[in-house]
Amino acid sequence: MTNEKEVVLFQGVDKVYNTGTVALNQLNLSIKEGEFISFLGPSGCGKSTALRMVAGLGEATRGMVEVFGKNPKDVIESSNDVAFVFQDANLLPWRTVLDNVMLPLELRGSDKKARKETAIKALEMVGLKDHLKSYPRQLSGGMKMRVSIARALAAKPKLLLMDEPFAALDEMTRQTLQMDLLEIWEREKMTVLFVTHNVYEAVYLSSRIAVMSARPGRLSNLIDVDVPYPRERTTAKFTEFVDLASHSLEHSMGRKELV
Amino acid sequence: MTVKTVSTNGEELVNVSGKTKMARSKQKLNLKYFGPILALAIFLSLWQFIPALLDIKPFILPKPTDVVAAAVEDWHLLWPATQITIFESVIGFVLSAIVGIGISVLLASSRVLEISLYPYAVILQTIPIVAIAPIIVIWFGSGFNSIVIISFLIGFFPIVSNTLMGLNSVDKNMSDLFKLYNANKWQTMFKLRIPAAMPFILSGLKISCTLAIIGSITGEYIAGIGGGKGGLGYAITVAAVQLKTPYLFACAITGALFGIVFYLLVSMVSRLILKSWHESAMKVER
Repeated sequence: MTNEKEVVLFQGVDKVYNTGTVALNQLNLSIKEGEFISFLGPSGCGKSTALRMVAGLGEATRGMVEVFGKNPKDVIESSNDVAFVFQDANLLPWRTVLDNVMLPLELRGSDKKARKETAIKALEMVGLKDHLKSYPRQLSGGMKMRVSIARALAAKPKLLLMDEPFAALDEMTRQTLQMDLLEIWEREKMTVLFVTHNVYEAVYLSSRIAVMSARPGRLSNLIDVDVPYPRERTTAKFTEFVDLASHSLEHSMGRKELV
Repeated sequence: MTVKTVSTNGEELVNVSGKTKMARSKQKLNLKYFGPILALAIFLSLWQFIPALLDIKPFILPKPTDVVAAAVEDWHLLWPATQITIFESVIGFVLSAIVGIGISVLLASSRVLEISLYPYAVILQTIPIVAIAPIIVIWFGSGFNSIVIISFLIGFFPIVSNTLMGLNSVDKNMSDLFKLYNANKWQTMFKLRIPAAMPFILSGLKISCTLAIIGSITGEYIAGIGGGKGGLGYAITVAAVQLKTPYLFACAITGALFGIVFYLLVSMVSRLILKSWHESAMKVER
């Protein structure tokens, strides 16, 4: 599944906020096409900051971020290749489900009829075809997140960025959505960057885990999760990777304590 | 919407425990309407009998029956005056809505403009319009024009400050979403900022619609002209000078009734607009 085409490149990236907080320190990472990579780390490790830079929503203080070999800002200006799923579903409450999903296409000014077809297809993919006319407030948290994913998919992105999308959901809903997300990833052959602080989630979903440490945020370990999909949460191999990821997470936090 | 909710509640209650609960909820509903009506009846009868008991003259405190009699007797004056005041208030209000929202949108679309002018929008709001009303009369002459301008000015600033606040209260994530999809300034304005500001704008309109009436009646005090073109404010000043107190009461109460109706209409429109999504318009449903 991985050919060697580079989708995202972090090169010596520092991010220092105006307040003096160092959010990222010397981040170097290359993400290849078709990967499902998770940024795993405690809060304050700069994982969301890194994700926002890929989306062109933030700039590096030093170093360089490239998406498809270009500046992220240019990429979002010229195409819908990058989509972002926010932690809260971030739907417009005054728009119906269908209108919310059509938004990205509408903003790019595509044909009205095609727009609707694409949106309905995207909603079908997340299993919400029967709720086109509902308003966000009528939906449960899990359904809202599905709409949000459908909105991201509607623009047919090549790179999907997800910022702790399932963190606010209950365990049952989360597991179903994780399964569905993997299915979509395999079918659509996208590259996914997924931010999470949940070790099990990272191991279940990712082909690679980038473990980050906090204050200053930096990459502390890269783990290739060498387990075939679909993964079983109970196998020894799965547990082994969970232990490995937990360990490097603890290690990175422990190191902070020593400093 | 209220009616629908009540009936579903009623049905659920029947399913749970038969007729007693439904009867009780009906009783509660009756009290909701009956209570205020009873309070009004008591108030009116006290008002009716106390002046008679204490022998207060009608030109000091007229009884409700005196007021009604005056309204009926002078209906040929009261009704045209009311129509004029309604006309002026509605025009003043509509102008303040259009100009207020329009200017706010322009201000909010340019960071420079907004930063430079917003403080003045706040300060101007505190000017008691009544105090500058005579200047408006000097500039625009007595009569309709001045009155509408006063009514417009008094309703204008609440709309501007509310709209600006609303346009700037857009959720950060939502504006990031628009940035990500490369929305231009006007797309963001019309598809995100204005809809998000709607609750603020509409509450500004609710404030302004009652203010517009105050504005036009005050305007009529100062700039009202006779010959059946004076409106309620002018009629009130005339009635006060002639000590026609019952008629003065009739004018004031008519003005109040118009105010209530106008406010309810604007609230209804606001509720319709926000019905599908905003908290403030859907309390009854939960």
